[in-house]
Amino acid sequence: MSLKKVAGIIVMTCFLVHVGHAQAQEGLQTYFSEVASKVKAMDDPAEKREVTAKSLQTMAEAVDRVQRSRMISKEDRARLEQLKATVQDKQDELAGLNGFERVPDGQLNAFVDYVVQDMEQAERTITISLVAALLIVIILILIV
Amino acid sequence: MHDKPNGSNTSVTQLPAMPVGGITCVALGLFLFSCAPTRPFQPVTSLTADAAPPPRYSITYVIHGDGNYLYHDTGGSKHRADEEALTRAASVATRNPHAEVLIFHQRPKRRLLWLFSPFRDGTFYYYRHGQLLDKVSYRRNRGQTRFDPEVELYNQYHLEGQPQQVRLFLYFGHEIPELDGSGYDASYKTWSFTIDDLAGGLSSLARHSTRFDLVVLSTCFNGTPHTVGALAPYTRYIIASPGNLHLSYYDLRPLEQLDVGLRDGDVSTFATQLARHAFDRLTQDVQTEITAAVYDVDRVEGYLDTVDDVYESALARLGGEARPPPERFDCAEDPAYVSNGMADGVTVFFRASRFGREKNKATHSGWECTR
Repeated sequence: MSLKKVAGIIVMTCFLVHVGHAQAQEGLQTYFSEVASKVKAMDDPAEKREVTAKSLQTMAEAVDRVQRSRMISKEDRARLEQLKATVQDKQDELAGLNGFERVPDGQLNAFVDYVVQDMEQAERTITISLVAALLIVIILILIV
Repeated sequence: MHDKPNGSNTSVTQLPAMPVGGITCVALGLFLFSCAPTRPFQPVTSLTADAAPPPRYSITYVIHGDGNYLYHDTGGSKHRADEEALTRAASVATRNPHAEVLIFHQRPKRRLLWLFSPFRDGTFYYYRHGQLLDKVSYRRNRGQTRFDPEVELYNQYHLEGQPQQVRLFLYFGHEIPELDGSGYDASYKTWSFTIDDLAGGLSSLARHSTRFDLVVLSTCFNGTPHTVGALAPYTRYIIASPGNLHLSYYDLRPLEQLDVGLRDGDVSTFATQLARHAFDRLTQDVQTEITAAVYDVDRVEGYLDTVDDVYESALARLGGEARPPPERFDCAEDPAYVSNGMADGVTVFFRASRFGREKNKATHSGWECTR
């Protein structure tokens, strides 16, 4: 392989790692924001509820799979447990389970905004590694 | 699209595909450029030879942008919290004809091909009498302590005003940790930044006169006994959030008309108006909890003395490695922190989260504790 090609591969690898970092951070935040936009564009409350519930379930599954991965450290596993609990609370509130009042139909738009804002804040307090964040984003892309 | 301050140029340059030789030339050029003398630390005599009267107000902004500051509004649009804070700060600077405004924007360090960083990662803007007089790029990793570069620039540019000059300090960023501040800066993982570092920076800035009149912490979870106690020697009033603060931050638009807001020189009333405005603005779009508290530093000292031992013991227990993130709660929920003077000197604007387990919470003491 020529020196030129080796240099090109190194440059490309650096570029992809850089893009991957940015994508991982933004991907998680953008996921719920896109769901919120979709839900708010709907008229039927049953449909809104279903899409919101499905998106939370997808996130819970993605976090669960990453948590079981061998690539994840013990510390990350503990933080992912917290993230999972945060998502679970939202699933319970939407459905009215585990001591939560069910979110009324008329408040579903406000609820998806709450999910976006609370998850963005949770991401700042529950700091997961780049590897964990990347894996969640990849799994989200594969599941959705 | 958000306007940037005049002459601002903080966008990231994308490297186009180019041959290795071209990349080497660019890298070498940037390396040599990076070795050039740094302009900001030269004297600025032209700025001090100003015929206009000295400024009545001095406002210092520190805007931290070296981390994940992305958020989405309710319309689904992406925003960069630090860029928005910078835009608002510039608006305050240009609308106050009797103020000097010093803005420090701490940006992520950019590397060239992962090898070295020829780029400066701080930008300083100096406004006086509504005009942008200077804009300077600087390196944040100069000096022994965290705020050395900012303190040096402040000393160089700050103009002592009238004897009654009102001095404000505003910090925008993520929660400033009380313990283990490592990782606060995404670009400098080994750096630590805690509230004691900020207090050290304020100490260096405050030596020009007495205390600041008002410090605003537009951050999460800094309305705590430890944080207020740490900053107390350097300011008369503090605005901070004991809970989570949405990244759209406190909207401090009343700062745009200081001649009106501070007409009587009454900082206490102005701070309360500022906090109320910020609170009202956040309640329009934010569904999570909103809290804005104003602390009259001299009046809260009694309460701080009462809870100091309990709070510091709790912090000490949280130290150490591999601990889970601390649990936060309203200090009023733990009898160890409740005392008769708890509400003295604190004005709280609170609205519970619209959803979640705390949605029926009616009040907040204005003090956040950890365990």
